[in-house]
Amino acid sequence: MRTYTEINERIRAGEAVILTAEEVIDVVRDKGVKRATEEVDVVTTGTFGAMCSSGAFLNFGHSEPPIRMQKAWLNDVPAYTGIASVDAYIGATEMADLDGAPYGGAHVIESLIAGEAVNLQALSAGTDCYPRKEIETSITLDALNQAYLYNPRNAYQNYSVATNSSNQTVFTYMGKLLPNYRNATFSTAGELSPLLNDPRMRTVGIGTRIFLGGGVGYVSWEGTQFRTTNETVNGVPVGGSRTIAVTGDMKGMSTEFVRALEFHRYGVSLAIGLGIPIPILDEDMMKSVSISNEDIMAPVFDYSMHTRDKKPLAQVSYAELRSGNIDLFGKRVRTSSTTSMPKSRLVAQQLKEWMEDGEFQLTELVAPMPSERGMLPLNVRSPKEVV
Amino acid sequence: MARRKFLLRFRPNIVSEPVTYLLVKDFGLIPNVLRASINDRGGKMVIEVDGKPSEIAAGMSFLETKGVEVQELMECVERDEGRCTHCGMCVSICPVEAFSVDKGTWKVSFDKERCIACGMCINACPPKAMQLM
Repeated sequence: MRTYTEINERIRAGEAVILTAEEVIDVVRDKGVKRATEEVDVVTTGTFGAMCSSGAFLNFGHSEPPIRMQKAWLNDVPAYTGIASVDAYIGATEMADLDGAPYGGAHVIESLIAGEAVNLQALSAGTDCYPRKEIETSITLDALNQAYLYNPRNAYQNYSVATNSSNQTVFTYMGKLLPNYRNATFSTAGELSPLLNDPRMRTVGIGTRIFLGGGVGYVSWEGTQFRTTNETVNGVPVGGSRTIAVTGDMKGMSTEFVRALEFHRYGVSLAIGLGIPIPILDEDMMKSVSISNEDIMAPVFDYSMHTRDKKPLAQVSYAELRSGNIDLFGKRVRTSSTTSMPKSRLVAQQLKEWMEDGEFQLTELVAPMPSERGMLPLNVRSPKEVV
Repeated sequence: MARRKFLLRFRPNIVSEPVTYLLVKDFGLIPNVLRASINDRGGKMVIEVDGKPSEIAAGMSFLETKGVEVQELMECVERDEGRCTHCGMCVSICPVEAFSVDKGTWKVSFDKERCIACGMCINACPPKAMQLM
């Protein structure tokens, strides 16, 4: 048994033993869970992939004379201003209404983090206290009072594998899917992925300090579509399960870990590097973090089917997915990942180094995540039917 | 016999010329069109040509006299290393397996020699790292 306080003391003293979730696998194989638990204090995880449910709250400061922004655009991308006068939320997937290459909120966020100038335009009807009716100016990240990512759903615990049974290429948020099952795409960093290493979220909850986009962030709430009801194999759920809402100051972030993406004929998304440190409180936690790609299963779905009630075609392991091809109905199907393993490793490594340098300490969660949560569908109903 | 790859740019006035046919008929070349994007406003075509080195040179000179801009290609698709995140979305898309993943580092390498510049990877790359040059 080990407490958060003891681990943090060891981090401050530069004595903590920290491994990544990949490195720990061999240690457990060689030494067993008991000895590994005695020797290791913290295991770091990491992922870097498309996380559409992301965006940033920005406060622009007040103009002279002041304006109550009712419509606003950042590099022609609409930002939501239905909050206080100069507050806005720029969503990663929001698109500029422009010809040419798709450009969206994710690009604006990447530009701000890169330190580039971004064009701001805003309109207002004008009020007695905010008389100004329009403004056009340039902003940078440094010129903003607050700029923080608030991502309602990141770090999906496991996810689906996508393939395409139809005779035409389909373009999806899981990428380009060739006809007749000619390829399959998947996401998550598997054995290195944050929530797959703490499957019941014993140590990850509201208030957990994390690596977010190259800076420090926090888990702020359960993520949207958080669900606990999927089948479990080897202690981890099969398919998209738990998620987290996270927040973090953009001013500490780097474009190395926040990158605009474009999924052709789907839209814009944002790749985010996210890492969570897992304290090895006891043998149970060590058992969780020692999971490897052979033991993590993902369901394969046909993304050419236009229904929410798709039945999985098969279950495959991350070891198979990472081998470069999977077997579907006796056919060799090549695989592609939407998650970058090299970048996911950089995240876990960076988090490890922060702790080795005594710069990053663990937080005990303020409140736990739901232990049970189903996922509700959206049906078309009258007010009478829905109440 | 030699095999070389060219980017041909057509102005609007010559888009109706049967250039690949003339390369076969008059120069004994075997052209393979890897990519073509031509309409009445002009366009471009990437071709691979098999034939005697002297005939290839003669064929391309002929195209230039016809007003076609001829650019020899060593590599038609370029990867922007700064944009590439090594996710691997390109890997299963490429018909000639020009991308490979190192199982140690998980980095994706791009073999330009293998690449036929078909362009399949360009719209499959989410960070927009692949460009047809």
